[in-house]
Parts: sequence; C-alpha cells; structure tokens
Amino acid sequence: MKAIRGFLSLYSLRYPATIVYMLQSTEYNTAAYLKWYWRTKDYSTITYRRSLDYTRPARLLLLALRLGIGLQLLLSLVLIGLGLADILGGGLLFGIGLIIIYPVLWANLVVIPLVLGRIFISKPAEAKLIKQSKTIFADHKGIKIAVAGSYGKTTMKEMLLTVLSEGLNVAATPANKNVSSSHAYFARKLTGKEDVLVIEYGEGEPGDIARFAAITQPTHAVITGVAPAHLDRYKTLKAAGQDIFSISQFVDADKLFVNADSPDARPFIKPQFQSFDNHSALGWSVKDVDVTLDGTSFTMHKDKTAISLKSGLIGEHQVGFLVFVAALGLQLGLTQAQVKAGIAKTKPFEHRMQPYRLSGAAIIDDTYNGNLEGIRAGTALLKRLEARRKLYVTPGLVEQGAESAAIHTEVGRLIAEANPDMVVLMKNSVTGYIKAGLAEKNYRGELRVEEDPLYFYTNIGHFVAAGDLVVMQNDWTDNYA
Amino acid sequence: METVAVFFGGRSAEHDVSIVTALSSVIKPLELTRKYKVEAIYIAKNGAWYWDEKLKDITLFTSGAIESFIESAKPVSVQFDGGMVLIKQGKGLAAKKQTTRIDVVFPAMHGTYGEDGSLMGLLDMAGVAYVGCDTASAAVAMDKVLAKQQAAASGIPITKFVWFTKTKVDNELAATIKQVTASLSYPVFVKPAHLGSSIGISRATNDQELSNALEVAAHYDNKILVEEAVQNLIEVTLPIIGNNEPIPALLEKPLTSAEDFFDFETKYMQGGKKGKGSKGSKGAQGYSQIPAELPDDLYSTAEMTGLAVYQALSCSGIARVDMLIDSKAGKVYFNEVNPLPGGLYAHNWSKAGVSSVELVEKLIIYAKERAAQRQVLATTFSTNYLQQF
Repeated sequence: MKAIRGFLSLYSLRYPATIVYMLQSTEYNTAAYLKWYWRTKDYSTITYRRSLDYTRPARLLLLALRLGIGLQLLLSLVLIGLGLADILGGGLLFGIGLIIIYPVLWANLVVIPLVLGRIFISKPAEAKLIKQSKTIFADHKGIKIAVAGSYGKTTMKEMLLTVLSEGLNVAATPANKNVSSSHAYFARKLTGKEDVLVIEYGEGEPGDIARFAAITQPTHAVITGVAPAHLDRYKTLKAAGQDIFSISQFVDADKLFVNADSPDARPFIKPQFQSFDNHSALGWSVKDVDVTLDGTSFTMHKDKTAISLKSGLIGEHQVGFLVFVAALGLQLGLTQAQVKAGIAKTKPFEHRMQPYRLSGAAIIDDTYNGNLEGIRAGTALLKRLEARRKLYVTPGLVEQGAESAAIHTEVGRLIAEANPDMVVLMKNSVTGYIKAGLAEKNYRGELRVEEDPLYFYTNIGHFVAAGDLVVMQNDWTDNYA
Repeated sequence: METVAVFFGGRSAEHDVSIVTALSSVIKPLELTRKYKVEAIYIAKNGAWYWDEKLKDITLFTSGAIESFIESAKPVSVQFDGGMVLIKQGKGLAAKKQTTRIDVVFPAMHGTYGEDGSLMGLLDMAGVAYVGCDTASAAVAMDKVLAKQQAAASGIPITKFVWFTKTKVDNELAATIKQVTASLSYPVFVKPAHLGSSIGISRATNDQELSNALEVAAHYDNKILVEEAVQNLIEVTLPIIGNNEPIPALLEKPLTSAEDFFDFETKYMQGGKKGKGSKGSKGAQGYSQIPAELPDDLYSTAEMTGLAVYQALSCSGIARVDMLIDSKAGKVYFNEVNPLPGGLYAHNWSKAGVSSVELVEKLIIYAKERAAQRQVLATTFSTNYLQQF
C-alpha cells in the first residue's frame, strides 16, 4: 500500500513544487538534493514541516520544470496518437514510456542548469569577489580575529562583537555566513576604519580553514573546539581537528587562543598556544560560578583584581568563552566597566540555549545545536538546574558519518547521566544508538519515541507545567528526517 | 490498551463550551499519553449520540460542518452487558456493525444532562468507571440551592439567599420581588440554580433590575436562586482533584471589578475583560490572577474552605469551588461548586505544576480507584422474604 502511494506521489500535481522545495531546502546543493531524492519513497510527505518559499529562483525553476514536463507529456500524446494511427511504429510504447519516466527524468534534469550556472556564472563571479576581498583584508589595518571550530563559532563571534564593541569599532561576519563568498561580501562592506574584524570560519571539508585564512589573513585566531561534525566529508575526527588547527600556520602562536575544555581539541594544542577553559584565560582565574535560567555569573581574578561578571547566556560551558572574551577585551584596552557592560549584554541567540516559558515550564531551546559538545553542555545544564520534572528532547545529530553509532551511543550515555524524568527521541536512523546508550547507563525514566516530531513539538505545552525544565537539542529538517 | 470514551456536547446551554473542553483539554492530552484508545462521543443538541474519529476535529464544529455530519451519520446505540459497549451501524448494504467496549468514560460535559448527575446515573447503572463527581455529588453540586444548604449544614459560611420555582416567578413576580426585598438587601445576584458558565446570571440593584433578572433566570431554569452580594468583594476559585484526599491547585482571582461579574460573554467570548478593547483571547487564562494575591491567612482560609466544601459535598475526581471574600471583614463565603470546570481549569493546574497530560492521567486513575471501591461494596442481601411471600 505504502509503495503504491509512494509511486503515485510521483504523478501528483504537487510533485514539481516538491522537487523545487527539496532543492531549496538543500540550498540548491545538487549532491545533497540528489541524495535526498533517491532515498525518498513517498514524495507526498516531503513538504510536511514547511513548504516551498516562492522566491524568484524557486518560481523560475518551477516554471521551467512545469514547462519541461508539459512538453514531454505533449510529445508523449503525439507519439501515442501516431502509434495508434499506425503512422509511427512503436509510437504507442515510446509515448507511454515517456509518460512513465517523466517525474524521475525531470527531477534529475533540473540539476543540470544549476550545475552549469554554478560552473559558468556563480563560481567565476565569486572567485572574482574573493580575489578582491583578499586585497581588502590585506590592506586592512585592524586586528583580524578568525573564529574557527566544530561548534560555538557563532556564539564566540557574537560575544567578541558585543564585548569589544563597548570600547572599539568592531565589524563581524553576519549570522552564520562563514565561507569564502560570505567573507568576500563582508569585506566589500568594510570602511577600513574598524579597529577589529571578527571573521567566522565555517569548515566543511579538508582544506577549508587554510583557504579562508589565506584570503582573510587573520592576526589573531580563536579555536572554539573540535567535535565530530561534517564527518561525512572529513571522515575522521583527526582530519577535522587537523583542518581546524591549520589556522596555526597563519597567526603567531601567542595570538592563537584555544578552548582547552574541548577534549577533542587537546591533542592538537601546543604549549606555545594560548589556551583557555572554564577555570582560566589569559592569566585570569575564575571563581564563584553560578548558573540559573536567567544567566551565568562568575568572578574573574588576577593578582589583587577581581571583576564580577554576569551574562544572559546560560550554562557553565559558557564560562570559558566569557572569561576569554573579557580577558581579551582588557588586553585590547577596554576598561573593566566596558568589559562588565559588554558581558552583561551577551544574550542567548535564537535556538541556541535560548530559554523561554511555556505553560509555566522553562524550555531551553538548543535546536540549532548540532554536535556532541553541544549535547554535552545541554545535558550538563539539565543535570545542574533544579526542576520539578526534567525532560530532554532530541532527534540526535546529523552528518556524523561512520562515527554515527559511537557518537549517538555516547549521546544516550550523556542523557542518562543527566537523568531526566522523561526522554523524548524523534524516530530516525540514530534512535537505536541513543537507546543503546541509555540502556548501557541503566536509564530508568520514561522514554518516548515520537514518529512525528512536528506533532510532538506542537503539543509540548500539554506535557509540561510550572516547575518543569525541558532541554530541546537539535532538530532534523525535512531533508534529514 | 484501555478504551476511554470522552462524552461531550449534550442537551445543555453549555453545549459549545463542552466541545472546547473535550477537544482541547481532554481528548488531545489523553491521546498524547499514548496509554489509551480514545473514542469521541458527541451528544447532539437533540440528545442523539454519535461516535466517530471525525468528531475529534474542532473545525467540524467551528465550520458548522457538524450539521451535515449529523444528517449523514447514524447515531450510536449502547449496550449494557456488565459494562458499556458502543454499537454503530455501518453505512451501505454490506456494512459491518462496529462495536467497542468502554473501560472508562470521561464526561467532558457542562450543565444539564451531563454535569448534573444524569449521565453519571446512567454510567453507574452500566457499571463503568467514569471521571469526576458521582451521581449524588454532581446533582447536589449542580443545584446551587442544594449545594448552599449542604455546605451550611456542614458549618461552612454562605451568603444570605432565597430561592423560587419558575412557576412562582412566572405567576407571582411582584410577590417574589417583595419576598426578596424582605429577606435580602440590594445589590443581589439572581442565578438559574442549575446552570454553569455564568449563563443567565444577573446583578440587580433595584426592583426593576430584579424583575428583569428573575425573568432572565426563569428563562433558563425552573429553580431560581437570589443571593445577597458580598461587600468589599474578592471572587476566588479553587480547582481541586482527588477522591478521599483532595489536592488543591492554586487559588485563582478573576480580574473583574466588584460591580462586574463573570458572565458567559466575559468568560468565553472576550478573553476575560468586559468592554471593547479588551486584551487576551484565551478565556479563563486571560483574565485571572494565579495564584490570587491575598494575605497569607486569607489565602489559607479560602483554600481550607474550598477543600471543606469539596468534602462536604462528597465530590470526587475533579471539581472547582467558587468562593466570595469580604476583604475588609476577612471572611470567606462558599459560593458554588462546578463539578466539571471548563477546560478542566488546565491553565491553573499547569501553574500548580500539573501538566494537561498528567491531569487527565490522574483523573483516569481516580475514576478507576473509585470504581474499584464501589466494586467491592455488597449489592445483594440474602433474605427469605420471597419464600415467605
């Protein structure tokens, strides 16, 4: 029955729009789109969580697709007609064949203009822009801080921007725009008068970091951590770590700051690098850490100086980042008052350890988190905070490659150690591994496996009440589900 | 998996409120537990029963499509065979009869023929477990006059009141007004004795308003209550669950002025505030202060009064006790009991630390617990009476 429904979905009127939606969801990445297309069994359920955003490229693509399909169907009918009239031998069979294959044929043909467009239009234009940006970065007199790592890059970048802006003219790459083309657009907008540039590096495959560094030419660099991410392309964690640490070839060792709280970063840290963690940064030590749903506070000490700081960011794992940024700010000439004010302005970013209230319960929305270290931080927070009832919700992580089983078993162990009253897993290919980790640690709470994540998220208000704490980590979009 | 039948709609002025209670506060959380098979039983305004999955969709009711559904659907019949079985005839010549045995009934009904003990009596006869107050307590609770008398007999403070039959009001209006003014001082509240959701309630400050108020109340009910208004009024309400050991939620204070009161429009249509430009659109959630900001001793007295009323009326499962407070005198009066609060008062329970899912699960447990207690009671008594006859 399912197979029949899936087959019929190829011929539904919504099918062309579904194809364009799949392309849009994968940001027109043809490889990811084709991978998704070929593993899909029923196209009628694809646009479940979201639907096609009718942007100009999407409308053009949809029009082209519909025209192509229409022409093929017309041709099929002509061939069938000729075949039936005995004018063209085999016309009937060929016409029927064309009708049968049109959905699959056009779903694959549609990538051709995209690939060609990328090769002949986008890439040359981007290459030109990138080349120009290299000159802009080279000529810029400000401090250029590169932010690299498997996780926490955007958080670190935003922290640097917020705190350093209290006393300096700072520009940072927007949102999570962190590849060469976005660096190039960022460079075009610079005035040249900035004191500090903060540039986020979004690694995706081996060689990326060195490529970004060669163009942006950083004077300083921060490595936020190494964790299993993009392993489908890096293959091993070691390869990912090597790529991230390749930044060390571009900055002086004493200007390379590494988060030593990241276990997987430690093997790459050399003594001459400046490491920081939850206890110390650039000669400052940390005391009196307090984490609540309103934020995180701590005191940083050096010699006889003590500075009490409070951030709106939630979680002990934020302390290392915060103290480093505060210490760097002081090193770059900010006053204590400026640092204090800057740290106070740091707030949770959307879907990243972002607290909100629902039916009286506290929800920590960390659905943009997508790595093991984030899971470690989220489960640690769940364990640390007091609550009437604790719930933990996750579908698991994506793009974990061959390490997926080991990583998700570890996710299960981490959840079990936080010991929530209820664990909600979204059913997918990694659920079994998480369950294995939970079982390994003898998790005794309630375990729910949801077939329909959207249904659960929509109704989560029914599950919680005042005094409850819910940590939601990661969310699989349609192309991963 | 146990089957829970949720009854809603009914031959009551609160038919529409019941639909919202059932669909948003009962069926959805019950299904989310994934512990029960949930059947929706809709009782139409003419009293016919319908059983269908489609009845779980609120748009069937909001769009008005329920009318065409009723026209085409066949009403359900019930079989009592040591329990309760629903039977639905299929459509067409070869259609199969559909049946299901009900383990627990969750009445999500307000007002007459649902909340007033009528349905509970039927369920008692069927021997099926059901959520909420039993036949006797529901009947007493839904009769505001009986409830006040019962509370007064248990030493719980109540306001001064008189009551009349509809016949008396219809035929001897002037004498009724005289009787009221002889016993009570203005302002007074006039209420249909059996209706909830504040339907038909009016406030009167003179004979003319009283006359109108009596006529309105007599339009809805054959028993009319007139009670003296409390001075320096603070209205509070307390949702309670449990059988022998009742558990209170949080005392809730409606944010209305002393001259105002919760009529149906205020409660359900305006999101809580009277007049134009009112904010909020979540019914009971939009117009209350939870927990009520009262001095500790007054809060505690009100909470204890609520629990005392719950027990005095032998309530079980769930109920909500409304009270009136004279803030200057620091005195708490019992006002009325609602055996099935609209929306289960889930918004209040949520603030008290009980989620919607937990609430319905607890109510099912209480229902089964009470049914088990009844099961062990002796219902036979051996005599030789017949032999002697």
